[in-house]
Amino acid sequence: MKYLLRKVMLYVFIAWAALTMNFLIPRLMPGDPVALLVERLQGRIDPAAMEAIAESYGLTDAPLLQQYRDYLASLAAGDLGLSIGFFPVPVSEIVMGALPWTIGLVGITTVISFLVGTGLGVVLAWRRGSWTDHLLPALTFLNAVPYFWMALILVLVLSVNLGWFPVSQAYEPGLTPGWDWEFISSVLYHAFLPAVTIILASFAGWVLSMRNMTVTVLGEDYVTMAEAKGLPKRMVLVNYAARNAILPSVTGFALSLGAVVGGSMLTEVIFNYPGVGYTLFEAVQNQDFPLMQGLFLIISLAVIVANLVADVIYVFLDPRTRQEG
Amino acid sequence: MRLSRFLPTSGKVRAGLIIAVFFVLLAVFGPLLTSYSPQASGTDLLQPPSGTHWLGTTQTGQDVFAQFVYGARISLGVGLVAGILSQIVSVLVGVIGGYFRGLSDDLLYILTAVFLVVPGMPLLIVLTGYLPSRGMVSVAFVIAITSWAGSARVLRAQTMSLRRREFVEAARATGESRTRIVFSEIMPNALPLIASGFLFSVIGAVLAEAGLSFLGLGSLTTTSWGSMLYFAQSAQAFLYGAWWWFVPPGLAIAVLGAGLALINFGIDEYSNPRLRTGRSRARAVRSRGPHAAALSTAGASAAASGAETPGVATILHDDAPDETVGSVPAGAAPAPPQIRELDVPGKPIIEVRHLKVDYPGADQVVHAVDDVSITLHRGELLGLAGESGSGKSTLTNAITRLLRNPAQVTGGSITYHRSARGRPSGPTTGGSEAEVEAIDLLGLSTEELRAYRWDELAIVFQSAMNALNAVTSVGAQFDDVLRVHRPTMPAREREALARTMLEKVGIDPGRVSAYPHELSGGMKQRVAIAIALVLEPDVIVMDEPTTALDLLIQREVLDQVMALRDEYGFAIIFTTHDLSLLLEVSDSIAVMQRGRLVEYGPALEVYAEPRHPYTRALLASLADMGALV
Repeated sequence: MKYLLRKVMLYVFIAWAALTMNFLIPRLMPGDPVALLVERLQGRIDPAAMEAIAESYGLTDAPLLQQYRDYLASLAAGDLGLSIGFFPVPVSEIVMGALPWTIGLVGITTVISFLVGTGLGVVLAWRRGSWTDHLLPALTFLNAVPYFWMALILVLVLSVNLGWFPVSQAYEPGLTPGWDWEFISSVLYHAFLPAVTIILASFAGWVLSMRNMTVTVLGEDYVTMAEAKGLPKRMVLVNYAARNAILPSVTGFALSLGAVVGGSMLTEVIFNYPGVGYTLFEAVQNQDFPLMQGLFLIISLAVIVANLVADVIYVFLDPRTRQEG
Repeated sequence: MRLSRFLPTSGKVRAGLIIAVFFVLLAVFGPLLTSYSPQASGTDLLQPPSGTHWLGTTQTGQDVFAQFVYGARISLGVGLVAGILSQIVSVLVGVIGGYFRGLSDDLLYILTAVFLVVPGMPLLIVLTGYLPSRGMVSVAFVIAITSWAGSARVLRAQTMSLRRREFVEAARATGESRTRIVFSEIMPNALPLIASGFLFSVIGAVLAEAGLSFLGLGSLTTTSWGSMLYFAQSAQAFLYGAWWWFVPPGLAIAVLGAGLALINFGIDEYSNPRLRTGRSRARAVRSRGPHAAALSTAGASAAASGAETPGVATILHDDAPDETVGSVPAGAAPAPPQIRELDVPGKPIIEVRHLKVDYPGADQVVHAVDDVSITLHRGELLGLAGESGSGKSTLTNAITRLLRNPAQVTGGSITYHRSARGRPSGPTTGGSEAEVEAIDLLGLSTEELRAYRWDELAIVFQSAMNALNAVTSVGAQFDDVLRVHRPTMPAREREALARTMLEKVGIDPGRVSAYPHELSGGMKQRVAIAIALVLEPDVIVMDEPTTALDLLIQREVLDQVMALRDEYGFAIIFTTHDLSLLLEVSDSIAVMQRGRLVEYGPALEVYAEPRHPYTRALLASLADMGALV
């Protein structure tokens, strides 16, 4: 378990780095944006909000270290400050309201996209040299399509022209959220198009990397030996080739997850989907800095946790990491 | 990596280059094609494409084509600047960390991990949200900050593997300075990775800029593809069906991204030949195969001259310039093959007759196995000797039906004589020697071949380290064979059999649950032998089974194989380049050179009275080295 322990320590460090980055960004950006903001907002908002902002940016004259300690202490208490745009709602409340939507949408689509993509990648690797090779340029194109553009096209064709799906929102306005079929079916119906967007824009990347890894692995002696053993093709492909080829995909999860999260945020904006991406967009529009930072923090932490999960899965997949010593 | 050689190998790369060049030209010269200014409003509002407005107009009457070509400048410019900046950081962090190691590497590794895990887009949004003024340069700068980590990680791994290679070790031994080694030895070899990392950075940066501008976080006074989409979105262009407004910029981003990714395909295929498809694959065989052969010959001759055997060194050296395996240099008539009668007690089990295997190249066919006939008898140990590239592996791969594309059997036959004993489920009526069924190995159907494999012919690969599946236990690798070939055997019996087989090769049966990485090299090779024996096949092909082991272990494993052969009575085809080893264990010996059988006969006779000059040279070199007494 030494491997996992080292990974956990690394992630704890990364989480700390993200917290610190979050603390330093407003203080280190050129041109003192906070002072500028305060100036700009003067008279436009509630004086009480004004004070809250000043406080959350350490416009108190305390030394930096003292500010940092206060920052960590209020984080530990779950206090992310107050939103400017929705004053005086606490940032943590807004973040917690947005998070389930994104975790549901991005979590489920990422898993589907990963499974479909790696599966297809293995199939394409196995059939290399046949007509399926001609799918590669198409997949490369698909992989380069920006998420938000894909969303625009889908909206144009499926919502505006054909009227099959709703253009925006997460559920029919007027419904009360609850565990009844009417609400759940409305949520699923509204989530369909954003989900399709994210899957279409992200699965090709998994296909391409898995295909390349599997093709590389197919040349290894252990795969030749499996074939020489007279095992059925499926068994060779799944238990020997894919089982080994998937390892780098799991390690590369961090890299890809960042891209998926970024793309999904833009997708949310197009569909007015009330997740963290849309909320972040709104926060930026309102120059709601406390909310922006709270959202950045929570997205970073969610990605860190997802990476940790990927590493735990990796330990199950690769016995070499379970070695003691 | 000369461009002229690199260009024609792949249609994908060519398509990618055409796309990239097209967009660069568009960005540079496109604005000359239009008389409109990208920001100027007009009176034609939201018009579809026409002669006056090639890509129509926006809601305020701006010309979309003008925006598109001016936007190309900004999008490409930001992409290039951010790509270059990001790649500089990647190279510095990756190469320095990977090469210098120690504390600086640890710190850089953690830094890379932080930027790798913290999601780029939200960080980008927060950073630009704070930027007091958003010029294109500051946007490019921020994009670079958030995107260097992935490439740095790859470069670090590559540098760490490069610094252990011989040429770098050699440079260090000669006292070259570290900076010089990094720049003249490491960097050139990491170049494909740097190039591919750069292309990915550019794609990433173009996408990031588009995303930011789309959110209204870019510089909204400058027109980029992203800001076009932003204004199209905020004007609800898609509700009016104004496709001409938002389709071109998004499509351009996707096509440009695909183009750069296609170039990357070429770079990947260049550094990993297994990925090649179609035509580039066929060419690869032509250019790589003989090259590899020449390399190995050169290696062999270096080894031989090191042992001060001028005779062999010359002979081997003469091979080196002749790059094509199997072709005969004009003028030098080859010595005729020397085939002797075999006197082996068993009945024939595998008969190879006039076998020809070709590798079709782009302009010439390589005869990897050229008219070879050998016979393996029951219980016989046939030694197959020859250097790398002599065709011995191609021959055994033909017998095991493991030839890979593009190798093709173009002539001859391989016959397997199946005895009644070989069929475990079949009725053993009498079991007399007369019940032998001749099977055309080359004509087996997929299903027949699958059933024949391992049950009647098993293989021990050269390196057990690579032949065992690293991610499943030893037991599982026995178990799948038994599950497939002995479907009626209960699970408990299967495990008991695996334990018995391990015991037979001198391994504690408790190790059945061990994973390959928990075993030593010698133990892994024993496990591989045990797996080969589990179905009690009649023939085992051993492809240099002891080459990867050190001498002492080699001896132990060999003794084990001989003892097992006495117990089970299987026949062995044993390939090696080590003739002295073969002379000791073989019943008969076949020597191959350049795809042809040059000498074949009983081991003792070949040793005592070699007739072919090549065999004589090989034996003489062994005698000089003191390997023979």
